[in-house]
Amino acid sequence: MKRLLVILSVILAGSMLLSACATPAAEVEPPAVDQPVAEEPEVEEPVAEEPVVEEPVATEKTVLNVWSFTNEILTMAVAFEKTHPDVDVVYTMIPMTNGEYQTKLLATLGTDDVPDVVALEAAFVKSYVESDFLADIGDLQVYADELKMYPFVYEVGMADGIHKAYAYQATPGALFYRRSLAKEYFGTDDPVEMQEILGDFDKYIAAAEVVKEKSEGNTYMVASNGDFQNLFFANREQPWVVDDKLTVDPMVEKMVETVKIFRDNGYEGRATQWQEGWFAGMNDTLADAEGNPKKVFSYFLPTWGLPYVLEPNSTSADGASTTKGDWAVIEGPLPYQWGGTWLGVMDETSKMDLAKEFIRFCTLDEENLTNWATGVYTNEYLKAIDPNVPDDQYQAAGDFVGSQVVVEKITASFDDSAMSEFLGGQNSYGGFAAAAPSVNARLMQGSDDAIQRALNDPLNSYLEGTITLDEMWALWKDAVRNEFPELIIE
Amino acid sequence: MKLSNHTLTNIQRFFVYLFLLILVVITLIPVWLLIVNATRSTLEIQQGISLFPSKYLMTNYKILLSKGLDLPLGFMNSLTIAALTTIITVYFSMLTAYGLVVYNFKGRKTLYNLMLVLVMIPMQLSIIGFYQWMSKLGLTDSYASLILPGIASAGSVFFAKQYLESIMIQDLIDAGRIDGASELSIFHKIMLPIAVPGMFTLGIFAFVASWNNFFNAFILITTRDKYTLPMLIQTLRGDVYRHEYGAIYLGLAASIVPIIIIYFLFSRYIVNGISMGAVKE
Amino acid sequence: MFKKLKYDHYGYLFVAPFIIGFLIFGLYPVLNTVFLSFTNRTLMARTYEITWFKNFQLLFADKTFLTAVTNTWELWLMNFIPQMGIAFVLSIFFTNLRLKIKGVGIWRMIFYMPNLMMASAIAALFFSLFSYYGPVNQFIVRSGIVAEAIDFIRKPEWMRGLVVFIQWWMWFGQTTILLMAAMTAIPVSLYEAALVDGAGSLQMFWHITLPLIKPVMIYILVTSLVGGMQMFDIPYLLTDGRGSPANSILTNTINMYMKFHSSKGHIGAASAVGLVVFLMTSIVALLIFFLLREKHEEPVRNGK
Repeated sequence: MKRLLVILSVILAGSMLLSACATPAAEVEPPAVDQPVAEEPEVEEPVAEEPVVEEPVATEKTVLNVWSFTNEILTMAVAFEKTHPDVDVVYTMIPMTNGEYQTKLLATLGTDDVPDVVALEAAFVKSYVESDFLADIGDLQVYADELKMYPFVYEVGMADGIHKAYAYQATPGALFYRRSLAKEYFGTDDPVEMQEILGDFDKYIAAAEVVKEKSEGNTYMVASNGDFQNLFFANREQPWVVDDKLTVDPMVEKMVETVKIFRDNGYEGRATQWQEGWFAGMNDTLADAEGNPKKVFSYFLPTWGLPYVLEPNSTSADGASTTKGDWAVIEGPLPYQWGGTWLGVMDETSKMDLAKEFIRFCTLDEENLTNWATGVYTNEYLKAIDPNVPDDQYQAAGDFVGSQVVVEKITASFDDSAMSEFLGGQNSYGGFAAAAPSVNARLMQGSDDAIQRALNDPLNSYLEGTITLDEMWALWKDAVRNEFPELIIE
Repeated sequence: MKLSNHTLTNIQRFFVYLFLLILVVITLIPVWLLIVNATRSTLEIQQGISLFPSKYLMTNYKILLSKGLDLPLGFMNSLTIAALTTIITVYFSMLTAYGLVVYNFKGRKTLYNLMLVLVMIPMQLSIIGFYQWMSKLGLTDSYASLILPGIASAGSVFFAKQYLESIMIQDLIDAGRIDGASELSIFHKIMLPIAVPGMFTLGIFAFVASWNNFFNAFILITTRDKYTLPMLIQTLRGDVYRHEYGAIYLGLAASIVPIIIIYFLFSRYIVNGISMGAVKE
Repeated sequence: MFKKLKYDHYGYLFVAPFIIGFLIFGLYPVLNTVFLSFTNRTLMARTYEITWFKNFQLLFADKTFLTAVTNTWELWLMNFIPQMGIAFVLSIFFTNLRLKIKGVGIWRMIFYMPNLMMASAIAALFFSLFSYYGPVNQFIVRSGIVAEAIDFIRKPEWMRGLVVFIQWWMWFGQTTILLMAAMTAIPVSLYEAALVDGAGSLQMFWHITLPLIKPVMIYILVTSLVGGMQMFDIPYLLTDGRGSPANSILTNTINMYMKFHSSKGHIGAASAVGLVVFLMTSIVALLIFFLLREKHEEPVRNGK
């Protein structure tokens, strides 16, 4: 036993010595500019990317490596190849359901295997923007200004005044409510009047009481308290971290209060976002454990929430229950934004100009953005450029893009769209366009996501009544301290 | 008295079977739920759980195909990796264990103890370091980085050593030497054939571990054509706002079936006699 | 009798591949981890400094770390003991000559099946089962067992129970296989001789079976311990990846993962956790070996 301990300590000591000599240099040097492509030359391309080339002998196409976590951008990549036939976009999709995308990206930082262009989701885009690994692409700002990109969109992509990421979509948040229920409880379902009634948070809480009374407790104002969080967080005056110190903005305290009010008064359905209960409320199949049917009056969802979440789930799986046509959208009590995908260029890339051009095309090209938003990129269109595109690859109309110029141009075209039908005739695009300008993302920081998520659990315990408010804050601070050793936390 | 003994045994047997049946139900319900989900649509799944299959099997299958997933290719990839890893792991573990058991060389104890310690290194952490190292060696995105480490699998050597100690017959080795056989051929021709049962056991565990090892393959492999089956299934989760749960569950069910078949085929070889050094007759 | 010495150096030849393989594939990550634990390296920055023991200081002062360690131990023990228990019970049933249970191979295969499942699928399933609006709640309320739905996901005891159950479910089959293999290796003649001497079932179990399966049990114990100390998949996937509620299922590895996955990627701090876990596991494992060791030390020469 003693011998073994000696052996162990020798190994440890030896390894420390060895590693002092053998470790990588403290500075991770980017590779020389004229290094070959990050992947092996005979890279087998993912199924989608055989470019349609007439000449059987391809002249050396430049390869551009793009990583993303959905197949959305693949559509733009194919469109890009149409206007840039000498480029071969190698598109790699890595899911981020359980953080795989982030882990994989982290592993490649600073190595040669890094992609040229990366897609970054709202939850982690700021960390990357703040890091040392994204390249400065500020010369694209001139296009952003031309297209009147919504400020919050490019603000997210900035750190210390340097532009590192741009986005094709804008994701302002909105409030969706049930028209029939609104008529019943408030006498009107008109969006303008509803915006008056629900125009700020105090009014919203008052309205919740009305809903509860008039429905005798059978209708919840919201399905889940998770719906609120984005709102309050987006309207703080101070960021979470100021000079390395954790700061709690009064808005956060207000959120905790509000959530408590909602829980105590039964205004919310206690569902968890993205789980059955939350979805059930969208198609009126929500029932409590005894089987009593319950309804949900409103949902806080962003632009993409409409086509991807609310609409598909507005009809129950067996088709028996539907709320189609019974919804309307308004700005709601507070402006906020939720989600979104940004594109950035990795510093290690050897194809800086091409990468920047790709980003310009995707996010700052008027024609592309217009086509994207109006559904020009159908499967047939894409297949005409590249026959290997999967059968379900297309971009439906309706994604809210980040350029005010484009938005104004196309809003009217959505008057008769399927989404408008869903909203009982209201033009969804117009609804979002109204909400977009007031969104502010200046306070966003890379550590936001982790800090905010650390609050969920203590908050829920507090709502259940198992801990006090002070204990909740203490628990939360412990959790944050665990994840951010360098933060000063009182 | 013979009669009552017999009855007693029968009663015991009855309870044992009852117990086994209950255990089987507990064991299999989640598996059943998984398979049932493979036949339901995404909406159905999002809105609840069911014990009864639904009618969306073909729909889900079509969705799987429409995503352009080359499932057979993914399957072959997984199979290749798992098979090669298993063979390499089993062979080299036996080789190393043989060396530790039969020969008394200087540093033998140390090496063995070191190996025990190696078993305890946490995986998730070293993966990033491993990746960056593989990157320096230029081995990223290649199966080599997944298969070759099997040469130095401390856990397998641990198992193999215990096993060999119990079945080793020194006389056979001596006889081989008298016949003029080289040490290596003694290993291959005499020892390995005896150790087949243990090798199969080790092999099955290694195969399952490799087949289900999503994480390592995921970090190291980037090219889609090299994706393993679990990785392909994971790509279905890619549309962040639009998970096709039905197809995902079908894919998951599909990736389990091969393993079950393999296990079934080889389970009869699982040794009924691993004593790991306890029994010496 | 050949002079062993003449052949002993062949040992080097046989273990060489392992050593080379380890040096190539295993050594760098280990050294890297050890080194990193003494720095403040983050993945998002290009430069870093050596901070010596600062990571460790912070770690031991951190309540969360201690919670993680305690949790991991508790979760492992709660899962392992029943696992061994059931494996024993099953092995005895299956190897008992008197009972002659039929279809042992099939039973065994069924019980092993959970081990073949992907953790993410299982976690997703169980999460659906036990959610506030899920089927378990519907069942217990409608059948009157409880008056109001239980928010399982938010209650520490229930989540721990679930994690323990799932881990147990996934591994008891494999443990049974190993134990059975060990038991069937015991020659029947030993039992027969004991019967002749008048030994009862319990005595035979205690004096023959247990001692002779000891090496297998040690193997199972140590490998389970190592796996248990690194328990990650299920607790991570079952909730939101943070070991909620109330850190009740926060394990060492989740703790470590959180550190390097949070915005800056604190790989230095995470490595420190990894190192401490490793040391802790090693000490306990070595203790186990020491306490349960066999008395013989030389390589087996005459096993038959």
